[in-house]
Amino acid sequence: MRRRRLLLVLAAGTFATAARAQYRGVAPGQVLRGNFMQERRIKGFDRPLISTGDFVLAPGQGLIWRTEKPFAIVTVITAKGLVQEVGGTETTRLATARLPFLGRLYDLLGAALSGDWHKLGSQFQVTQQGDATQWELTLVPHAGADPVAMPFRSITLRGGTFLDEVRIVRLDDDSDHLVFSGQTLGTGEPSAAEAALLREAGK
Amino acid sequence: MSRTMAAAWLVVVVLLGVHLAWRVERGLTFGTDLMALLPRDEADPALQRVNDQVAQSLSRRVAILVGDRDRDRARQAATIMTRDLAGSSLVEITALPSGPKRFAALGALYFPYRSGLLSEDDRQRLLDGHAETLETRALSQVFGLIGMADVRLLRRDPFMLLPAFFAALTLPSSRLGIDDGMLSVTDAGMTWILISGRLRGDPYALDVQARLNTVFEAATRAIRAGDPDVQVLHAGAVFFAAAGAKSAMADMSTLGVASSLGTVALILLVFRALTPLVLTVLAIGVGMGAGLSVSLLLFGELHIMAMLLGLSLIGIAVDYSLYYCVEMFAPGQRTPNQRLVRVMPGITLGLITTTVGYATFLLAPFPGLRQVAAFSVVGLIASFATVVFWLPLLDRRGPVRHGRVLLAATALLWRFWEAPALRPVRIAVLVVLAGIGLAGAGRISALDDVRRMQSLSPDLVAEQARLQQIAGFTIGTQFFVVRAADTETALRREETLLDRLRPLRLAGALGGYRAPASFVPSAQRQRQNRTLRQVRLETPLLAGYLAQIGLPAVELDTAPDGVLTLAAAEKIEPLDEILGELTVADGDQVAHIVMLDNVSRADAVRSAATGIDGVNFVDPAADFSRLLGRYRRRVVALLMVSAVLMLPLLALRYRLAGAIRVMLPAVLTIVLVPMAKALLGDPFTFFDAMALVLVLSVAVDYAVFCAEADAAYKPVALLGVWMAMASTVLSFGLLERSQVAAVHAVGSTMLLGVVLAFLLAPMAGRRKQREDG
Repeated sequence: MRRRRLLLVLAAGTFATAARAQYRGVAPGQVLRGNFMQERRIKGFDRPLISTGDFVLAPGQGLIWRTEKPFAIVTVITAKGLVQEVGGTETTRLATARLPFLGRLYDLLGAALSGDWHKLGSQFQVTQQGDATQWELTLVPHAGADPVAMPFRSITLRGGTFLDEVRIVRLDDDSDHLVFSGQTLGTGEPSAAEAALLREAGK
Repeated sequence: MSRTMAAAWLVVVVLLGVHLAWRVERGLTFGTDLMALLPRDEADPALQRVNDQVAQSLSRRVAILVGDRDRDRARQAATIMTRDLAGSSLVEITALPSGPKRFAALGALYFPYRSGLLSEDDRQRLLDGHAETLETRALSQVFGLIGMADVRLLRRDPFMLLPAFFAALTLPSSRLGIDDGMLSVTDAGMTWILISGRLRGDPYALDVQARLNTVFEAATRAIRAGDPDVQVLHAGAVFFAAAGAKSAMADMSTLGVASSLGTVALILLVFRALTPLVLTVLAIGVGMGAGLSVSLLLFGELHIMAMLLGLSLIGIAVDYSLYYCVEMFAPGQRTPNQRLVRVMPGITLGLITTTVGYATFLLAPFPGLRQVAAFSVVGLIASFATVVFWLPLLDRRGPVRHGRVLLAATALLWRFWEAPALRPVRIAVLVVLAGIGLAGAGRISALDDVRRMQSLSPDLVAEQARLQQIAGFTIGTQFFVVRAADTETALRREETLLDRLRPLRLAGALGGYRAPASFVPSAQRQRQNRTLRQVRLETPLLAGYLAQIGLPAVELDTAPDGVLTLAAAEKIEPLDEILGELTVADGDQVAHIVMLDNVSRADAVRSAATGIDGVNFVDPAADFSRLLGRYRRRVVALLMVSAVLMLPLLALRYRLAGAIRVMLPAVLTIVLVPMAKALLGDPFTFFDAMALVLVLSVAVDYAVFCAEADAAYKPVALLGVWMAMASTVLSFGLLERSQVAAVHAVGSTMLLGVVLAFLLAPMAGRRKQREDG
């Protein structure tokens, strides 16, 4: 069960609220919805790659990440792995079983989620700033970490009640900047269409 | 005269003894490869050579999976196991590409030729006219939640087709992935790590097996000491061979000891004297020693199974001295020479018929059974010679007087077969036997599947199944051999084959395949791919795609005309090892192997090679099973031939009617035994057929002794037969307990056979009483 919840956080800690006292989390039976803007900067490209869309997070079931612009991509993440679809056609499928790295990332982010600094500390140097209403957490891999398994320079999470912003800097200085908005924590199940997506990805 | 012969025989025995002692001094070794007992396919020796090399390579594989709920502890355990196995210098651990450097070598090899490399699926998409799916996939990777592109790659391979080619290179059915330098998989909360390697020694050498098991068990203990929750699974032919050899050795020592002790006890109980025991032990000892000595002289090395079956010779070799010793129960005072004269016709006919039976083993081209035959024939002749030349000289016993109860008991069996009043009972018994025969005939079924006869250790089978289920691959035994005059032709033939296997894989007929052409396509295929990519993908779609992602410039081909060659790939780690397994040196010919995983529909897979030159499907277990079936039928024919051959031999002494009467109980026995076994649920195998050849010899032997006896000697003769039967039950019958299915089949057939032959033997007796009355 814990494992499944950790999975949900793969999308760079969509709801990771690091300050232990403040963390409200998403409980089973609750569904978190919101919008995102992702800005990817790759050296040598004319302009940043910007995509926008919305997401649905259902603890114990998975995460649906729907990119609407510049074109529709649906990414579904479950305990079994990651599946990407374009126009109803599956383009990518990554199995957790074959990519233990994915599973380990969940563990780390899960540690961040539950405030288990000790566990995070085994892979990252963790710096915490701000207060309960406006906090910032910076994760830096230890010196000497395997660059194949840990291709990040740093990961920064910022938020208050919810996670508002994630910044990932890769070793080659390419970066991703994710900004979340309009987040609502509701009760009830995902819609039938969403449930079907999660089922398909969980195969 | 008899003293001269005795002295001459002593010289022979001493010479054989010296040879045996010299061999034992040098250290006796036994073969343990069960397949070595089976016949060779001589139709295509070149193919057989390739098969042997592949089989040898497969049999050297060792796979160990260590698992723990905690990743770090699993990795720690894997590190210990790897260190200990590698440190033993018994196993060469398969190195993984670890760290960026290793991938760099692989990348540097493939990257310049990327325009000619397409994964099977991508090539099919382009052929089907679905180029846009490749564009869509690239876009979703560039824009997707997890960025999978960097600009250096995108500039040179904008649709990221080389990563797709690499992703398809790993075993399609494998669940394993590389995690920080180790092959890992997570399954039900456990992290499993695969350690695979190649045995440096011969997996069928007993000392290699023993050393590997010691190292493996010590490493497992060391791991468990630090982490009691860790799980260790192991698989590989060497572990199966070790378990098989261990159980055969255990069989040999326990059954050998039980059989020897039983025979000693039997003789002491019956004769209540030491002389018969000493004489019998002498006859057996000379027989066994001579059999072993001559077999080693002929074959150089004995197989452990031949040894095991050969040792059962005790059961038959003992007969001659028993028949002789039982003469001590005969009424009246007799000299040793008179005793010998009495049994001489019986044991001579017995030796001849038994030798005819064993000689049929020599006709079957099974190397191990030839060893059994040679061991047995030599041993029997030596025992016979010992009885004939030595026993009368060594025998100082007067007649034995305590045999009344035993003789009365055997007289009862005679009475059953001869008393006119019991005729209805005899008919009833024969009707029951006929009923068993008919019921069994309705149930009898042949079994030739060598996989079911090898009786692999069930624990190991379960462990291997679990390992394969977790790791998601099978240690395949089926493969194609692709032969051609040169590498390019071989690669093209493979591609034709792979193109046919792909739909079969998608339909589930097999799980996956690996061929040299999967790693390095033929030059022809690389050029086709290049054209396909330019015409179907880059010309129509590249400009629009680049505009959409905002990438200003690309640098396409660096080697527009070059092709990647197998020779270049074979120099790069880890391809050197992978390709080394898939290519076999075969004179000036090229032989490539297409390894298959999880074959579920062998016939469909086999027929994929139809019409492609130089391609053969090899399914060693099925091929061996077919051969076993062929030879099972041949042995049944040999059985009939030897029965027919015995008839004129016996007719020389008993005339035709008498010969038929002697053969009748033996023939009834060999017909009824497989039927009775069928009723018990046992299938009829090649090994049952082989055992029936022995049963026939022994049964004729018993009948001859009964036929030789005149009225006064009948109980004595039958006591001899009873002792012969009891000692055979003690040796062969104990094989019925063996874990080795083939040995079990021989044992159970012999057990039933000799008991039935004993019970029916008096049928062959001369009908004096009736004739007189």
